[in-house]
Amino acid sequence: MEQAIQSTLREKANRALGVNLKDAKLSKAYLSVSFITLLVGGILGLLQGLERSGLLELPAWLNYYQVLTAHGILLILIFTSTFTIGYLYAGVSHTLGGLLPKVRKMAWTGFVLMLIGVALVVITIVANEASVLYTFYPPLAASPVFYIGLVFVVLGIWSCCFGVFINYNHWRKNHRGEVTPLLAFFAMGVFVLWFFGSLGVTTEVLTLIPWSLGWKETINVMVSRTLFWSFGHTLVNIWYIVATSAWYVVVPKIIGGRVFSDKLARLVVVLLVILNIPGGFHHQIIDPGISESVKFLHVFMSISIAFPSLMTAFAMFAVFERAGRKLGGKGLLGWFKKLPWGDVRFLAPMVAMIAFIPAGAGGIVNTSNQMNQVIHNTLWVVGHFHLTVGTSVVLTFFGICYWLIPYLAKRKLTPQMNKLGVIQTIIWTVGMILMSGSQHLVGLLGDPRRTAFTTYGDHNTALSWVPYEYVMGIGATLLLIGVIIQVYAVFNMMFFAPKGETEFPIGEPEDDALPTPIWMERWGLWIVLMLMVVAMAYVVPVVDFIVNAPPGSPPIKTW
Amino acid sequence: MNTTKANISKQQEGADDVKSLKGTLVSTGIVGAVIVIMWVAVFWLYMTRL
Repeated sequence: MEQAIQSTLREKANRALGVNLKDAKLSKAYLSVSFITLLVGGILGLLQGLERSGLLELPAWLNYYQVLTAHGILLILIFTSTFTIGYLYAGVSHTLGGLLPKVRKMAWTGFVLMLIGVALVVITIVANEASVLYTFYPPLAASPVFYIGLVFVVLGIWSCCFGVFINYNHWRKNHRGEVTPLLAFFAMGVFVLWFFGSLGVTTEVLTLIPWSLGWKETINVMVSRTLFWSFGHTLVNIWYIVATSAWYVVVPKIIGGRVFSDKLARLVVVLLVILNIPGGFHHQIIDPGISESVKFLHVFMSISIAFPSLMTAFAMFAVFERAGRKLGGKGLLGWFKKLPWGDVRFLAPMVAMIAFIPAGAGGIVNTSNQMNQVIHNTLWVVGHFHLTVGTSVVLTFFGICYWLIPYLAKRKLTPQMNKLGVIQTIIWTVGMILMSGSQHLVGLLGDPRRTAFTTYGDHNTALSWVPYEYVMGIGATLLLIGVIIQVYAVFNMMFFAPKGETEFPIGEPEDDALPTPIWMERWGLWIVLMLMVVAMAYVVPVVDFIVNAPPGSPPIKTW
Repeated sequence: MNTTKANISKQQEGADDVKSLKGTLVSTGIVGAVIVIMWVAVFWLYMTRL
């Protein structure tokens, strides 16, 4: 009882005083690392784009695959992870009445572990001891230090996962019979999926360390690839839940609307947590040694994600339509014009949502067996990835910055900064249309991914790809300009913008909304269901890979 | 009296208009159509390359 009163008092104090400064410092630290990583990864991305277009020749001490590995690891793993932790820890702090002191310590421990991990990974890549691409599965072998660095990164993430679990359960104990705030529910979904989704890749990395040290002669490549993709596939959907948390919870408040349905949003989170992990084989759809029935199961599970995605599309259109009509929008689609297109906090996530339409469609193409044969090892996949992560997720992250960072830094978003944000969003959108669009098209013509620039001895087919590759290079250039503007905006808002109070925008439900049933909080049940689905999808094939193991592979260094 | 009734009716229409989700249904249908068109286009490409 006493604890409950203390907790409620802390929540009231939190609301009255604004952001908790200790929690804000934590989130700002994560976000700072995130955007420094974005800058470095973005510069490497331009180098990669220009080299792949044949417009730039890298110096002898820096090879294409080194750049590709660094670009991938820094942006896909470090930028997204640190942003997610910075943003969701701020959300948990705001909605659950502040972080518990031990949770804050766990998050700082995670921060230090991740920094050590990143340093080890970067050192090995710079030393040209780890050009194993961002997927890092065998037979390509990196220095053991690279894998040890990855272990540190994972431990850092786990520390943050358990921090959220503790804070969430603490709130629930003190609010018996109450449903948690929606943003905290999203955070719980993200960290549950992150922890369970990373178990497979952690097992893989722990087997790669003795193999790379020479203590073990060979490794089972099929098991390693499967463990990697059980995580790789899940990671995409972790980003997706992070992005949708802002779409469902924050965007309605920014546009003057209401959350369409709290229950529907929670159902989407639960479905994504349960259905997500068993889709890994759609990345291995042309791998030998996996039965068609198992591949079909994974394809089905991957496509099942379309269901919560279309629920999200409907819910978001409903939020926009109701908000637009309140602002005077008439006719079937007239409400669309009434939305606040000049507000970067809306524009950036809105472009992200629009990009998710072709991105999702492309994902269904990728996961369909026959069509995957057309695009599997081509630049189409790279284009798809830049549309999903590089646009739908990253533009949402950028949009979040324009209210989250002023909120954390006790500063204001100025009209000038808003204008700069709109320009940045336009540059990013045009850059991505050019780069991702040309990658999709040239992929359909057979241009391979994971390959440095070559004309294959001036073969006609390869020469026909060159114009598309030039467009790709132009797009990459615009994207780096976008990165520079964004990084400038982030640090300007963190340290130099005018002082003031900024709201953490949390959408409210419709006036006539029915209460959310408390059974949606049964995380134990959702986790059991998730583990059952994971077991259904992975136990049989993994046992088969081990019992009928293919010849093991020694470590291979191709560079 | 008639004017009051007309006003109430107009207010009711306005409230219904704000609650309308017809545009949402059409928009979601457009999303579905994009997915189907893209899928069919690549499947056609696959078939022509067989």
